[in-house]
This record gives sequence, C-alpha cells and structure tokens, in this order.
Amino acid sequence: MQHPITQGSALDDLDISSVDAEKMKTMAVILRDPNPIHWDVDLVRELGMGDRVVNQGPNNMAYLVELLARNFGGEDQIVNLKVRFLANVFSGDRLIAGGVVNDVRAAGPAQLAEVELWLRRDGNENDLVMSGTAHVRLA
Amino acid sequence: MDETALSSVVGWKFPGGEFTIEPYEHWLMCDVVGARPRRSGTANPMYVYYAALGGMGVSLDEFFAVVEASADDGVMFGEAEISVIEPLKIGSTYRVDGEITSAVRKAGKRAGVFDIVSFELKLTLSERHLATSTNSFVFPRRA
Repeated sequence: MQHPITQGSALDDLDISSVDAEKMKTMAVILRDPNPIHWDVDLVRELGMGDRVVNQGPNNMAYLVELLARNFGGEDQIVNLKVRFLANVFSGDRLIAGGVVNDVRAAGPAQLAEVELWLRRDGNENDLVMSGTAHVRLA
Repeated sequence: MDETALSSVVGWKFPGGEFTIEPYEHWLMCDVVGARPRRSGTANPMYVYYAALGGMGVSLDEFFAVVEASADDGVMFGEAEISVIEPLKIGSTYRVDGEITSAVRKAGKRAGVFDIVSFELKLTLSERHLATSTNSFVFPRRA
C-alpha cells in the first residue's frame, strides 16, 4: 500500500487462490462446529447446495483481517471490523479481498483510518460475498 | 413465534462462561486463514469472535431455541463485528458475558418473512473490558 495513507488510498489486494476443503475440516474441529456442510460433500449435494463444501463464514471475515494486517502493519492496528455476510463461499473458490480508505482522522495522539472492505469471488465486483468497514490505527 | 414473543427476547442474557485461547488451536486457526501461525504473543483479532461464541455458555442450537428456531430452519449469518480495546493474548482465559440486543421481524419479496436477532458478547479479564463481539443471525420464518 502506498504511503502516505490518505482518503482514497487503495489497499493492496489479498488473493486467496483456492479455498481449501481440508482446512475447513480443521476449522470445524477448532470451532466445535457440527454443521456438516463444511465437510460432508454428500450432504451438501442432498441439500441442493451444489457439489462443493461451504467455507465457514468467519473464515471469510478472517481473510479481511489478514488484508488489514498486511496493509496497515499488523493485526494489532485493527480497532474495529464490521462485516456483512452476503453469499456462501465454496471449496475451490478464488477470492480477492480489497479495500479503500474512506477517511483519516485524528484520534487522540494517533490517526485512525476508516476503511471500506470487500471480498469478491474471482475478483468480480458483481459477485460480492462479503462487505465491511474497519477502523485501523495508522502506525 | 409471534412478534410480541420475538420482542420479548431482547435482554435475554447468555449464561456466559470462560474461554481460553489454546496456543495450538491459535496456530491451527491462523494456518487455516492464511495468517501468521504462532503459539504465543497477541492473538489474531478473530479470536474476539471465537472466544465470544466459544464462551457464551450455550451452543448455537441452544441459542437458536431461544428464538424458537433450529439450524434446520436455514439460519444464516447476518452481520458480525469485532471491537478491540486491548488485544487478546494467546494462552489467556477470558470471561464472556452478553445478551440479545435487538430482535426485529422483516419481510422481503424474495426472502419472505424473516427475523434478525442481534446479540453482544463482552470479553473481560479481571473485570477489565477488553473486546466486544456483536453479531446477528437471520431466521427465516415459514408460514
């Protein structure tokens, strides 16, 4: 991301080249999430949801956390992140996370950036799977 | 569930509990989402969410039952928000408390009737408020 960070600054994209079904299994255990749509492709077919397992929603949110961490000098700079879940993400999907700085203002001794965020399947702006807003301290 | 009953769930308090950020789980979670895997230091901010839902004292199915729904109804995520006052630490144990903050019924041409139920969970350490997880779920209501 180019410095100085100002209103209109674009974040460097984060490219998730292929969402991994095996990692969903790991996350299901960590979260004690019993929902089989994350690991049982036969059930996903029975439910008429296609033939690929569904990524855990919070994983998609975590991609935006990583986008912010890489662009603003670390995860600890994140003050707040609010997202809206708009569509399911499936194993094998390619996702592009991106964002733009909407505002920079003083917050005590530090500066706070307000950032608009998105997560798009194949980077297609008509296939938005998550939108969000974050507030991040500028280092 | 009628609208009067729906509005009565606002203020319902979670039993609450504690959540420990286990170092090995933290490493694995970071590996899953492409973050820097580690077993010590400050936790990934997503742990505000994981700790809050892991320590709220009920399962998601039990929470859904409070609004007379189940996972089989096709419950969906609505929004999620994490707010960090002070970063959480790997290996630490946090107290989780919270309540339902809003419950509204809506109707859409395609979606039909659905309820949006929001709740807030606060993470504390020695009674110091460190972070908040605010979430909403969408509950389809079939006639």
